[in-house]
Amino acid sequence: MVRRLLAALCAALILATAAAPAVASVDILSLEQQLKCPTCEVPLNVSNAPSAVRIKAYIEEKAAAGWTSGQIQQSLVQQFGRDILATPPKSGFDLIVWLVPAALIAAGLVAIPLVARAWIRRSRTAAAPEVTPSQDEVERLNRELRQLGD
Amino acid sequence: MSSDDPGKPPTHRRGWDRRQITIAAVCGLVIAAIGALLIVGLINHNVNNSIDGSIAKGERVPAPAFTLPVLTSTPGLPATGQNLTLTQLHGHPVVLNIWASWCVPCTDEAPILQSIWDRYRQQGVYVLGVDVKDLTGDALGFHHQYGLTFPTVRDGEGNIEGPYGTTGVPESFIIDRQGRIAAALRGPLSASGSTGNVNSFVSVLDTVIAERS
Repeated sequence: MVRRLLAALCAALILATAAAPAVASVDILSLEQQLKCPTCEVPLNVSNAPSAVRIKAYIEEKAAAGWTSGQIQQSLVQQFGRDILATPPKSGFDLIVWLVPAALIAAGLVAIPLVARAWIRRSRTAAAPEVTPSQDEVERLNRELRQLGD
Repeated sequence: MSSDDPGKPPTHRRGWDRRQITIAAVCGLVIAAIGALLIVGLINHNVNNSIDGSIAKGERVPAPAFTLPVLTSTPGLPATGQNLTLTQLHGHPVVLNIWASWCVPCTDEAPILQSIWDRYRQQGVYVLGVDVKDLTGDALGFHHQYGLTFPTVRDGEGNIEGPYGTTGVPESFIIDRQGRIAAALRGPLSASGSTGNVNSFVSVLDTVIAERS
């Protein structure tokens, strides 16, 4: 009897789960962080400007209707242009915005040891100034070298 | 004779070597690129301050051109979804109103604009709304809610704001038959109290209508 009841309960739970409407899996906070308020230029999630409030309501409405995060974002870009994106997309011409800072950082990392080595070399050269021997000193040195050779 | 000869002191090379020239060239290019980006940014966010100054001096400057998709149309203009260019309205006085559905003063102003449209459309005047930084559905809902029948174009990115020197919404402009700005109202049209400005605005419109091209 108990087994039958448990089986019926499990079956009911499975049916209820299958019959339940698909719940939108949009991370609303994350999406709002990726967008900015068109009038105040701050991320949507921290803006209470009237336009931002309306867009946040639109996001919630579309998420509840089953739209994906990408679909909502694309719809907003169509309506407001790419300026509504808080960060530029990592494709096309906008890719340069991501590549240039990375390239500059890499160039800096390469430049640091090169510049440091050049500085060290220069300081050593400066610490040991070149001394030009006089003619007498050259002759004396040659004489002593000859004596050593003998 | 080379500098390595014995008995001769080593000589220093003068000027830059190849590596120093390369580093300097790369640094110069990076600085030039950053400067170019700054200039482009400044140009793209250029705000036009000449309109108000010209009007104050009694002059009229050409209304900045734009081409925008039609949100709500009227007979004689491109259909909804098609593009409308300002020059298509040359020969007609135009009341250009920049608005958005989320803008509270726009709700007070909407009936005034509708009354101007009702009163002057037979005289060839166009009231043209420019809906900026707004959701399309909200803008259409606003038109429906306030029973607005004048045409409106959509500017979701707000590109019109810089050329027209717009600092907020709503703002209204009167454009004469030659496409020049005859009046600029930075703020809402108001019919009531001491702040009422509709009469002075409409008097400029009457003047513009009376002028024949």
